[in-house]
Amino acid sequence: MKVALHLPVVPNVELVAAKAVETFGGALGMDQTRIEAASVAMVEACLNAMEHGGGQMVVRMSDDGPAGKTSLVIEVEDQGAGFDPDKAPRNSASRVHGCTSKRGWGLTLIRELMDEVQIQSNPGRTLVRMRKYVENAP
Amino acid sequence: MNEEQMRLSKDIVAEGFGVIAAAGYINNEGGQAIADAATELISGGCGTLLIDLEGTRIINSIGVSILLEIMEKLLEDKGQLAFCNLTPTISKTFEIMGLVQYATIFPDRDTARSELMGNASV
Repeated sequence: MKVALHLPVVPNVELVAAKAVETFGGALGMDQTRIEAASVAMVEACLNAMEHGGGQMVVRMSDDGPAGKTSLVIEVEDQGAGFDPDKAPRNSASRVHGCTSKRGWGLTLIRELMDEVQIQSNPGRTLVRMRKYVENAP
Repeated sequence: MNEEQMRLSKDIVAEGFGVIAAAGYINNEGGQAIADAATELISGGCGTLLIDLEGTRIINSIGVSILLEIMEKLLEDKGQLAFCNLTPTISKTFEIMGLVQYATIFPDRDTARSELMGNASV
């Protein structure tokens, strides 16, 4: 199965992508908790793409792997200025406690909620590739 | 279910103890709606707030950041914040973002009420 969505930057469009995760994950037999984790990660990736991507984003979903190790693969691509993923800090509760700005959680949540995450970013193209196994990660 | 639309109610269930029930998408608007309800209850004398998220299945970090602000405001006033009916993913998100360090998590509203009623400033 493969799905591709070309999403405009409009309010709450990330819910369209989250709904697609729910449908796709359900079709793969993923349990509700894993679907919801992937949905929140998808929402965060879309919000980052909308905030930094500079225009339309593309969301792709596919299944991957042999029976018993099947996974849902999600890609979110934008055309923004790009960033160095190695220099993107992991956020922490101690860092934001007492600070005025409490933002900057997107990548931290994505990394914690998904089983595998790869980020390729260059000027004009950033691709966040995330994997969630249908059952527990091997 | 229209997940975009936040359905929210608030109630003072005992002196000093307010409950907010919020179902829907906790984004910037949903988080702000909860914050506004919390501010109203705090202004009305509630030092203990329970936020019941039954019916909330999708959140984002911007909305949760607003909940962090409520928590800090309550802590400054020596109040306490609690949540109940969290999905496992929302619970994990709260853990990652540090809400569970300062707020108490209960499995359901009845348990929360029985535990918190004794702590409310009656």
